[in-house]
Parts: sequence; C-alpha cells; structure tokens
Amino acid sequence: MRTLTNVLWRLWLPVLLVVLWWFASANSTNLFVPPLSRILGVMGRDFTNGVLLQAMSSSLSNLALGLLIASVVGVALGLILGETKRLRLILDPYIHFVRSVPQSALVPLIIGIFGLGSASKIYAVALACVWPILLNTIDGSLGVEVGVRRVSRVFGIPRMLYYRRVVLPGAMPQVIAGIRVALPIGIVVMVVSELFASNVGLGFYILHSSSTFRIPETWSGALLVGVIGYVLVIGFSLIDRQILAWYHKSGAR
Amino acid sequence: MSNTESVPGGTLTRVSEDSLLRVTDLSLGYGEGADEKRIIENLSLTVGNGEFVSIVGPSGVGKTTLLKGLSGLLKPKAGQVVVGGGALEGPHRDVAVVFQDYSRSLMPWMTTRENIAFPLQGRGQKKPLRNKAADEALDAVGLGGQGNKYPWEMSGGMQQRVAIARALAYNAKVLLMDEPFASVDAQTRFDLEDLVIDLREKLGVTIMLVTHDVDEAIYLADRVIVIAEKPATVVDVIETGFGTHRDQVATKADPRFQDARGRILTRLRK
Ligand SMILES: Nc1ncnc2c1ncn2[C@@H]1O[C@H](COP(=O)(O)OP(=O)(O)OP(=O)(O)O)[C@@H](O)[C@H]1O
Ligand SMILES: [Mg+2]
Repeated sequence: MRTLTNVLWRLWLPVLLVVLWWFASANSTNLFVPPLSRILGVMGRDFTNGVLLQAMSSSLSNLALGLLIASVVGVALGLILGETKRLRLILDPYIHFVRSVPQSALVPLIIGIFGLGSASKIYAVALACVWPILLNTIDGSLGVEVGVRRVSRVFGIPRMLYYRRVVLPGAMPQVIAGIRVALPIGIVVMVVSELFASNVGLGFYILHSSSTFRIPETWSGALLVGVIGYVLVIGFSLIDRQILAWYHKSGAR
Repeated sequence: MSNTESVPGGTLTRVSEDSLLRVTDLSLGYGEGADEKRIIENLSLTVGNGEFVSIVGPSGVGKTTLLKGLSGLLKPKAGQVVVGGGALEGPHRDVAVVFQDYSRSLMPWMTTRENIAFPLQGRGQKKPLRNKAADEALDAVGLGGQGNKYPWEMSGGMQQRVAIARALAYNAKVLLMDEPFASVDAQTRFDLEDLVIDLREKLGVTIMLVTHDVDEAIYLADRVIVIAEKPATVVDVIETGFGTHRDQVATKADPRFQDARGRILTRLRK
C-alpha cells in the first residue's frame, strides 16, 4: 500500500507534464515542434519495425561496455591511489587536468585514433566515465576508518584480501556514488560518439532524422534517450540498495 | 615467575625466565628529526606467561601509543620489544589486540562471524574451519548464535564482546587491550571485566590491559604498572596478589585493593 502511494506520488508530475505537452502541441504547425501524438506515433512505428530496437541495442551495449571498463579501471586505480600516498601526490594534478577537459570534445580524437567501429565509441564512454569513478574511489578509500586499517595490520591481513574485503567495501558507498555520476555522462558521450561518421545507434538515429528534416523522429530519439537515462538511474539505485544494504541499514549516512 | 625486580628512580627491570613479552628501554614517538615528539621514553617491563598486567596512566599519557608499539604498529625510536623469542619487527602472529574504539574496529559490511573469522581467513584458513572457530569464540564471550548479526545491530557492550572474540579466535599468546571498556555503561563494564577474568582463567591467555581507570586496573590484574610523566615512563609497579578469583564487591573491599588504590592515586597526583 505504502509503495503504491509512493509510486503514485512520484508519477503525478510526469503524467501532468505529458498531458500538458500533448494538448499544448496538439495543433502545432511549427515544423520543429510537432504534436506529441506524432512523436509517439513515429516512436511506436520505429519500435515495431525494429529500427529503434537495433539502435538501442547498439547504443546500450556500447554504454554498458564503456561503463564496465570505466568502473573496473576507475575502481582498481582509485583503490591503489587511495592507499598509496606517494603515487597519489604525483598523479593528482594530471588527473585533474585530464578530467577538466570536456569529455565530449575528445570524442572526435578518440574516433580518429581508434577508428569508426564500436570500439572507439566504447573507449569514448569509458574515458568520460572513468574520472568521477576514479576520484570518488580515491575519496572513498581515504575515508576508510583508521580503526579498520589498524585491525587489518595487526592481524596480518594479506594485501589482496585487504583490498578486496576492507578497502573496497569501505569505499563502496563512494564508488557507487561515482558510478551514479558517471552514468548520465556516459549517456551523453554515447549519443555524441554516434554523431560522428556513424550509421548505427541512437545518436545516428537522431542526427540522421534531423538532417533529413524528419523532426518527429529526432524528438522521439531524444525522448527515448531521456527515458533510458531515467530508467537506468532508477535501476541503478535498486542495485545500490542491494550492494550497500549494510550502509543504508547501519545508519552510517 | 619472576626472580628480581627493582624500581630505581622510576624505571623497572624485571628478569623472568618465562616472560612472554619483554620491553627494554623502549622509546616511542611521532614525527621524524626536528618534528619528533617523544611520547614514551626508556620504558621497560615484562609480562610473564599467563600473567595479567594492567597499565594505568592518565588520559593522554601515551597508553594507546604504547600498545601501538607493543603490537608492531609503531616502530620504536629506541629500545626493543621481544615477543616469545624474537624482537618485534611488525605485527606479530602471537599478539592480538582489542582496540579502544570497538565501533570503529569492527567492519560494518561483515557479519559478526565474518568479522571474527577475517583474521583467520588472512591466515589462509578454509571457511568451515574459520567459521567454526568464530562460533566457538562467540560462545566464549556469551554471544552464542549471534554470528549472523551485523555489528551495528548490537549494543556497544555486545560489539566489544565481538572484538574480544575476534582477538580470542586469533589464538595469539598475548592479548593487548586498549581501554576496552571505556565506552560502555557501568553495569556492562563490570560484566565485561568479569568476562575477561573468566576467559583468562579458562583459556590461560596472557593479557596486558591498558586503562586510565585505577579501580579497573587493580581489579583485573596480577600486577599493575603505573605510567606517568611526559614523556611517559614506568613510575610504579604493584603486585595485587588476588590470585585468579575476583568478585566485584568483595575484591574491591579488600584492604589490599584499597592500599593499591591509595598508592596509585597518590602517585598519579604528583
Ligand atoms: N598519530 C599521532 N601523531 C602525533 N601525535 C600523536 C598521534 N597519536 C597520538 N599522539 C599524541 O600522543 C600523545 C599520547 O596519545 P595516546 O593516544 O597514546 O594517549 P592515551 O594515553 O591513549 O590517551 P587516552 O586515555 O585519551 O586514550 C598525545 O599527546 C597525542 O596527542
Ligand atoms: Mg588511548
């Protein structure tokens, strides 16, 4: 009952917005602002004929692989840097330098270097997503209790076990927060990477439709990207509740 | 157990055949070179096999620092610590520690069983074996059957029992305890004190407990070592002579208890 009320409470605003949009755009004759009914109609059509499903699967697999690489690299490097002060002090300025460059701006370069295939798109997503994950992981590992470190040393915990069972779980709340920040960045770069000399994916669908003045398709593509982002964030917070059950329940926050 | 003992001008040498822990002219501090701050200077003591020694000293005197030195977490500036036969180079298999702040020394992402079994996992023990050891240790501290709970589901006193169980399961020869009962209420504190006395009697572990509470130091120990001054060193040593049995009321009413108490309080007030 409580969850139902919760869901309803969350839903009223989006529903209201869609209804408003629907009626406000109903009689629109502006080429660039087609009626919502048309946008959804086109979306439905392209889902049934498989165009959008194919675009989505290509985009999402790039996103997933890119995020996976970013998470593995970001977490591993972050834990090592967090635990190794000397290394951290040396690398810190570079990390902040690279991360200050707008990641979308690097996409053409990455495509230039790695070619037009999906590999370069995956790298682009990974490169953009790795920074928040890396920095958060460093922070998280620095925040691991001194007491817990002392225990590990006194009881002679071997290095790998220490990383796996102490630093990683201790840093996990921040790691998760980092991935949460990386997710929307990854979605943006995913789309942007498909705008360059590409013939697949949601980015291509959006670009191609707009350059051929099929504006409802453009809208439907953009809308879909937004919905995907929303669904992923919700899905991710469910995973978060699973992984960090101890954290939420212990009231550590 | 001991042959000779002397307390000339505040330093102590005790020669003992079967001493488990021997500290000679130990100096500990923080920082290097010009920034160096000495906390402990020229401190010597020994703990015999099976003995219960309390170290009492005022807050901030360097009790935790001393235990860090004895557990291999802090390198001596001078002097040495010998455990069993060899000089201590770092954390040692025969030394287990119960830390001052139990809530920060237990890992909230592990169940109590996992917390206790973790050092054994570090030693490469297989899961069934180490879980069995953890459950036995939980039984020993009166928390039988609570292995699946998380530390944060437990009261402070229970968490401290878990920390003690972890040290017990490690099966070290020496148990170092840093004000283990400082942050629990009075009744829980008495219960935990009696638990430790009980464990010591049953398991024959050698215990060195550090506290700023004079009554606790006397009540628990065979021998109380008083440390004071800046930098800290041994200023007095008192044999309590209570044997292995203790009683919260009777022991504390014992004239020997009162004498020791008066002597230590006077010494610390100087
Ligand atoms: N990591 C550190 N770096 C520098 N100084 C320290 C450090 N840890 C402790 N000290 C200093 O060493 C002195 C002794 O500290 P310590 O924690 O050993 O005292 P204590 O007797 O355990 O006190 P308490 O009864 O409050 O626990 C204090 O002056 C403290 O400021
Ligand atoms: Mg202390």
